[in-house]
This record gives sequence, C-alpha cells and structure tokens, in this order.
Amino acid sequence: MVLDFLVLKLADIFVIHRLINGYSLTIVSMKDLSMNVLTGSMNGMNKSSANIPHVTIDSDSDSEGFVEELARVNSSLNGKASSESLKTGGKASSLSKGEAGKGGKSYSTGKGRKGSASIAVSTKSDAELKLELDIPLNSGILMNCEVAELLQEIHEHMAILSEDPNIKIPESFDKAFQYAKEGNHFSTAQSVKQVLDPLKKYGVSDGEICLIANIGPETIEEVYALVPSLKATSSLNEGPIMEALTALTNIKVPK
Amino acid sequence: MFFHIVLERNMQLHPRHFGPHLRDKLVSKLIKDVEGTCSGRHGFVVAITGVEDIGKGLIREGTGYVTFPVKYQCVVFRPFKGEILEAVVTMVNKMGFFAEAGPVQIFVSNHLIPDDMEFQSGDVPNYTTSDGSVKIQKDSEVRLKIIGTRVDATEIFCIGTIKDDFLGVISDPGAAM
Repeated sequence: MVLDFLVLKLADIFVIHRLINGYSLTIVSMKDLSMNVLTGSMNGMNKSSANIPHVTIDSDSDSEGFVEELARVNSSLNGKASSESLKTGGKASSLSKGEAGKGGKSYSTGKGRKGSASIAVSTKSDAELKLELDIPLNSGILMNCEVAELLQEIHEHMAILSEDPNIKIPESFDKAFQYAKEGNHFSTAQSVKQVLDPLKKYGVSDGEICLIANIGPETIEEVYALVPSLKATSSLNEGPIMEALTALTNIKVPK
Repeated sequence: MFFHIVLERNMQLHPRHFGPHLRDKLVSKLIKDVEGTCSGRHGFVVAITGVEDIGKGLIREGTGYVTFPVKYQCVVFRPFKGEILEAVVTMVNKMGFFAEAGPVQIFVSNHLIPDDMEFQSGDVPNYTTSDGSVKIQKDSEVRLKIIGTRVDATEIFCIGTIKDDFLGVISDPGAAM
C-alpha cells in the first residue's frame, strides 16, 4: 500500500492524509500552531478512517477551521466524489493531483470562497436557530400593522405627490401596501404594541415579537413551532406569551 | 419583514432646478430615483417617509451639476431566512409553485410540499391532498417559511417551504363562502 503524505506549513496547520486504493480525506485545522508537522503512517492507516480523530473548531473571523471526513470512496472516482461532498468545492481535486504546494495555496485562497467558512460537523437544533436577522444599525423593525397605517397615510398624500408627472407610484409600493393591509390581523398597531412590548422583559427579541404580530398565532404550540428560538427560553416566556396571545385574540379583526 | 431605516444618498441636481423650490425638487428626484428600487443590503425600498437632512451642495467640476448628500428615512422590505410569511400563490407547476409576499417572489419546490399533496394538471393546475380537502392553486393564500434567500444587486428571490407544522394553505379562492 502506497501512502502519500502531504504536509503544509501555514499559520494554521493542515494535515492531510491520503490513501490510495480507497481513500479518506481528513483535514484538520488547528489554530495558532506554526510548525511543520510531518506525519507518517503505517499501512494500518487504510483502516483508520473510522479512527481518525474529529476536531471541530469554531471559526473566527480571523481564522477558519474545518474538519471533513469522507467515507472511503473508490479510487476510480479519483477524488471527484470527495470534492463534491466537500463544501469547499473542487479544491480537493487539486490535491488529488498530488500538487501539495498548490493544495496549500488553494486552501488559503479557499478561505475567501463562499460557503467554505465554519463547516462544523454538528448541526444546530431548531431551538438554537435564531432568525438570521442582520438588522442594519439605525433601523427599527416594523410590524405589518404599523406598516399598514404608515403606508395608508402616504397613500393619502400620493394625490399631492402625483401632481408631478415625472413621479409614478412604484409597483412595489402598491404590492407592499396590499400585503401589509392583508397581513394585518389586528385593529390598531398601538394596541398590538401594548400587548407585545412587555414580552421584551422575558428575553423575546424585537424580531421575534414582530414575527408573532405578523403571524397572529392562536396557541403557544404554534408560536414555538414557528419561532423555534423561543423554545430555548420557554420556561421564562411561556406564561407571558400565553397571556399575550389571549390579549391578541381580543383585538383581532375577523377577516 | 419591514424595517424603518435611515439611508444616505448623493443626489445630483442640474442648475436649471435651482431656485426657491430647490429642496422640493431634490425630494421629488429622490423619491423618483429611490422608491421602488431594491438593494441586496436593505431590500426593497417601499416608501420614503421623511427627509432628515440635506447637506451642502458640491459643484462638480466640468459639468455644473451639484451633488447634495441627502439623509432620508424609508420603509424597506427584506425577507430573512427563518421568517414566516403569508403569501399569495401566483403560479403552480409540477416543479412547485410561485408565491408573492409584497414585492418579493418566493418559490416553493415540490420537494418542500407535503408528500400527501399531488400535482394535478389541467385548466387550473394545483396541488391537492389525496382526499381533496386541501388545495393549493393560483390566488390561494399560504403560510410559508423562508429557507433561503438569493440576493442580487437589484433583486431578492426566496425559497420557501410549507412542509413544517402550522404551514400551508390559509384560504382557498375556490372555497365557497
């Protein structure tokens, strides 16, 4: 059995073992180590794919660590299957060509690739999945009921604005106005705010409050199913959310 | 989800607009240029709600145009991954269906439609459960979850699912009132 070793020296260490005749590709990145590591392995490596240690490293903005272990594949596939299953994309195929130096470079350039960052082996549970909101600074979230009222006022002023023949009412305004009106389940935005604002004390974020207002759920199970991040703090927020739902039912406008 | 946000833009104005109504001309041009546009970062600019500040104008060399930095407040609409939306179905085909929520288009693939719903082709293509109790067709209202967004420079396109709990048809246009 011929074993190839690829050794790279980078600010982080990448140790790549490749075995011919059914190979597994293990990439381990360790932060803040800067030494050459030459690992040799015996013929027994061919059965070590199950024994290869997994190291999961949370990536920072400065560095990336990722662990991938691929199941044995036939050598006839020539690394293509492994490269497909690697989220970094076809970089592994360059390694399979035995270009060690290039492989090192490709990994460092691979840092810039989309989707190559922080590929942790463990998956997040639903409760950990927060709404992926990157709210810009100086902005506030608006509930559909608030938007409906705001756009209603603007709509009433449209007659004045449309005196200028160059100004056309954009299509997206009409669509958004329609959407906000139809998505609004409640009588007034003020009453919704009064009911939902107290939830902030119990760890409910603005985005989650907005979701609850927009969805108009009827039961606590519905809330936890649609906003899984609230489940994590259910012991804290279950009571207040149930009270809020009861209050919202009173101000709901039947359609 | 809607946001109320402050943005800044450099507006260029031709000297022919200068005069006592300079500010009004600037605001009109701002509305004309910005409302209805979409940026990947902020989403669709639905409406401008106010102008916070208009800075000092700078004459551009060679052209005579003047650049004014304008800070304005606006309502933007931007969908996010994990968000629950109510959308109206616009088109149904065997690959899935398209729905609209405000200015945003969402596609729900047939892989993300519950397995008990089958595509029925015909005059009105639709997805129907085996017992015919639930139907998704054009103009149906559905509650869906956004599972992915693709952001271009001028467009946002979303992928959604109705396969989870509490998702699916809200109202059917074909149902008798």
